[in-house]
Amino acid sequence: MTRPLVEVEGLARRFDVSRPWLARLLAREPRRFLHAVAGVDFAIPRGTTMALVGESGCGKSTVARMLVGLLRPSAGRIVFDGTPLDPDAGRKALAPIRRRMQMIFQDPYASLDPRWRVEAIVAEPLDAFGLVRDRAERRERVAELLRAVGLSPADGRKYPHEFSGGQRQRISIARALASRPDFLVCDEPTSALDVSVQAQILNLMKELQEQLGLTYLLISHNLAVVSVMADQVGVMYLGRIVELAPADELFARPRHPYTRLLLDTVPDLEMRRRERAPVAGEVPSPIDPPPGCAFHPRCPFAERRCRAERPALLPAGPARVACHAVEEGRLPA
Amino acid sequence: MALLEVEDLVVEFPTRRGRLVAVDRVSFSIEAGEVLGMVGESGAGKSLTGMAIIGLLEPPGRIAGGAIRFEGRRIDDLPPEAMRRIRGRKIGAIFQDPLTSLNPLYTIGRQLEETIRTHLDLDARAARARAIALLREVGIPAPERRIDAWPHELSGGMRQRVVIALALAAEPALVVADEPTTALDVSIQAQIVQLLKRLCREHGTAVLLVTHDMGVIAETADRVAVMYAGRLVELGPVEAVIRRPRHPYTRGLMGAIPRIGAGKGRLVQIEGAMPRLDAIPPGCAFHPRCPRAVERCRLERPELAPVGPAHAAACWRLEPEPTG
Amino acid sequence: MTAALRRFFDHDLWWSFTRSPLTVAAALVTLLFLVAALAAPWITPHDPFDPARVDLLDAFTPPVWTERGDPRFLLGTDDQGRDILSTIVWGSRISLLVGFAAVLLSATLGVALGVSAGYVGGVYESVVMRLADVQLTIPGILVALTINGVARTLVPRELQEAAAIWVLVLAIGISDWPKYARLARGTTLVEKNKEYIAAARVMGLHPLRIMVSHLLPNVIGPVLVIGTIGLALAIISEATLSFLGVGVPPTTPSLGTLIRIGNDFLFSGEWWITLFPSLALVLLVLAVNLLGDWLRDAFNPKLR
Repeated sequence: MTRPLVEVEGLARRFDVSRPWLARLLAREPRRFLHAVAGVDFAIPRGTTMALVGESGCGKSTVARMLVGLLRPSAGRIVFDGTPLDPDAGRKALAPIRRRMQMIFQDPYASLDPRWRVEAIVAEPLDAFGLVRDRAERRERVAELLRAVGLSPADGRKYPHEFSGGQRQRISIARALASRPDFLVCDEPTSALDVSVQAQILNLMKELQEQLGLTYLLISHNLAVVSVMADQVGVMYLGRIVELAPADELFARPRHPYTRLLLDTVPDLEMRRRERAPVAGEVPSPIDPPPGCAFHPRCPFAERRCRAERPALLPAGPARVACHAVEEGRLPA
Repeated sequence: MALLEVEDLVVEFPTRRGRLVAVDRVSFSIEAGEVLGMVGESGAGKSLTGMAIIGLLEPPGRIAGGAIRFEGRRIDDLPPEAMRRIRGRKIGAIFQDPLTSLNPLYTIGRQLEETIRTHLDLDARAARARAIALLREVGIPAPERRIDAWPHELSGGMRQRVVIALALAAEPALVVADEPTTALDVSIQAQIVQLLKRLCREHGTAVLLVTHDMGVIAETADRVAVMYAGRLVELGPVEAVIRRPRHPYTRGLMGAIPRIGAGKGRLVQIEGAMPRLDAIPPGCAFHPRCPRAVERCRLERPELAPVGPAHAAACWRLEPEPTG
Repeated sequence: MTAALRRFFDHDLWWSFTRSPLTVAAALVTLLFLVAALAAPWITPHDPFDPARVDLLDAFTPPVWTERGDPRFLLGTDDQGRDILSTIVWGSRISLLVGFAAVLLSATLGVALGVSAGYVGGVYESVVMRLADVQLTIPGILVALTINGVARTLVPRELQEAAAIWVLVLAIGISDWPKYARLARGTTLVEKNKEYIAAARVMGLHPLRIMVSHLLPNVIGPVLVIGTIGLALAIISEATLSFLGVGVPPTTPSLGTLIRIGNDFLFSGEWWITLFPSLALVLLVLAVNLLGDWLRDAFNPKLR
């Protein structure tokens, strides 16, 4: 079996959210940490899409930012195509790997420098990694990239504000593709877009994946989007993966109570108008997560063990689930 | 007589390069106790329609034509003071960002009590009791304690519950809810939608629910109005519009929504993007993106015309009614 | 080129400019001063600094419209017989030169420190910004006087005359950087969390390159605004220092020097020697200030 393109082991990140030193001293407070990501493992096979889903504050974006080097992991390691990423290596040493992993961002209005022409934006990675020899080649490559995302080469002369949200997201994708990466981290790529445009972008992402053999990590809060894009899904809650499963399996047979809750909240377009059991509670603060299983205060199946002991991510059929109730087989199927 | 009647409403923005028409001859009505969903993409004019009804259009935006009648009385030409009395007492409002709807300088209890006493003839103790009852009704745990909390001490979902309590405080006949769930997490969204639905049913309050999320409409609304480029393109019972959309835009929109269980196939997509307000094409505004467009669509604007029971669409080239 | 021109005239900035007569007047006055200052050697009726052409017998000639006026000297002459109009034009030249150079220095210094502080953060940011805070608590003119004094003791005596202008630029420039640093840091803090900066970081660009090519352009607009107001302030600072006698030497007088020289004769009846340079200074500063105010309002989306 070939090795996965991306492997993540025990990845963790904590943020120091202590008050300033003097205030802390006066109030006799200890330092406080927010464990945004508290140990996450997964692997993404080449040419497939892995999705991380969860609500705000679950740590999915932090994982994405660590993968592309925007944030330093506090612990754990990232292995890319067999090479472990050393965060202490210099900029130059990391460049060959950086070239191969790029990112698409959420807000198409903030992800393009408003003062740059589109051609300069798309060409930025070409210059950054020294991928073109002269201006002619640069122009040719930019035109090719713009065409690949469904824009015209003439659009390169314009500025970002002349484009709609969907077109801007295309420009953002063209920029991400400029360095011919293998791996794209897509952080909520369509959540700022209207539905009809979202469909265009999702279709484009699929086409590009087929043509270029891209591997995606898709960060999303929208389960329906994940269901049409992902091969593998990790459900995150308060910094941990609570269920990791092949997409078909996850949507057909959700195991973890939180996964079930999330699926239950997806609005029903089939108009069955079911009266749902209202989902109680909200996500607790990640600074002070509940002991044991972090989901237990909202979980209808919680028992004493759930309040005391944190469940490990254990195999359950083709999935892996972190839940005592699933492990003990006391959940209705 | 309908509770709210909107007739040929036009909202425009004068700019130095001419007038931008953001809402273009929109007509619809809401019956007492009914939930009308208004759906469309950003810039379709749905929020402006809501704002025009509650008299909160941001200048330089202004109502340039048509009439809005509430309980049979015109309200679009009322002086600001008279409109303010109607707003709050008769028409409540819920906005996308609960933080902007709450004054950060007052406790939620004070804001609730103030609203209650402004509109209902109650003394301080009765108002407080009513405020606590309202908070309990919108599902805030321990309302006796939470009533003295400041807005910033509450989570987004809790704040939106307070905003709903505020909107309902004076028992209005109509609530205009503009993207009430968009800023919230998915599990909280479901809670808020359920809450809104239950409260309005219990109180017999009519709702104009403005949202871009067809899922929220499907779960909540009785009827739905679909807007495109400032115009109403389809209006009908929610089931008919969602299951048997007749306007090509609505149909495209429904096909573009990803659905769980539909597999990993290609999504239906509508080519292009909605035109900017300064570049709305002549004829049917949708024709450049419409797979069914013919010459007539380029020249003549279609008006909303009946296509079924209580169902209307503005299109020269209606999608065929699905058989079976 | 024509496309760029068309864009300029189509721009909201140009539109709001043509809508404000006061601003147009201020711009014309400023332009007049700039042109006069640049073209001083060719347009002044006399060369006030050529000892061979100045006649002491012409000293204290009042303006032309008074009884003893001389048609050669429109605004009269000073104690050495120099033509006041010409000295004003030459003086504005010095004042504007010092003003522009000082603003350039303080803006460059402030922007470099502010952008880097905002982007890098941490201890470096604290040190830079606390330094700015401390300097802001001391009156600018005091800082300038101190720097001026220190610089003068360091410059060899024989070079002092020639270096005076640049010492002045240094003094005024350094006294004014914290304003620019605060502004640049504020703008940087807003921009650095935007995703296009993240995109540049994902490409592994050097921080310096990110600062120069992405962050700096955002700072330029606001800096231009306070730089314009800063120019007026720098001209006043220069005039103040020169008036106090620690500015440019009387042989190459600025507006401030002229006012000081004239001041000695104010009570002996030769009012024109100080009045006209003062009026010129007020007019120049007012015009530049009005221009700055308009720029600030035009750039402020809340007021549009």
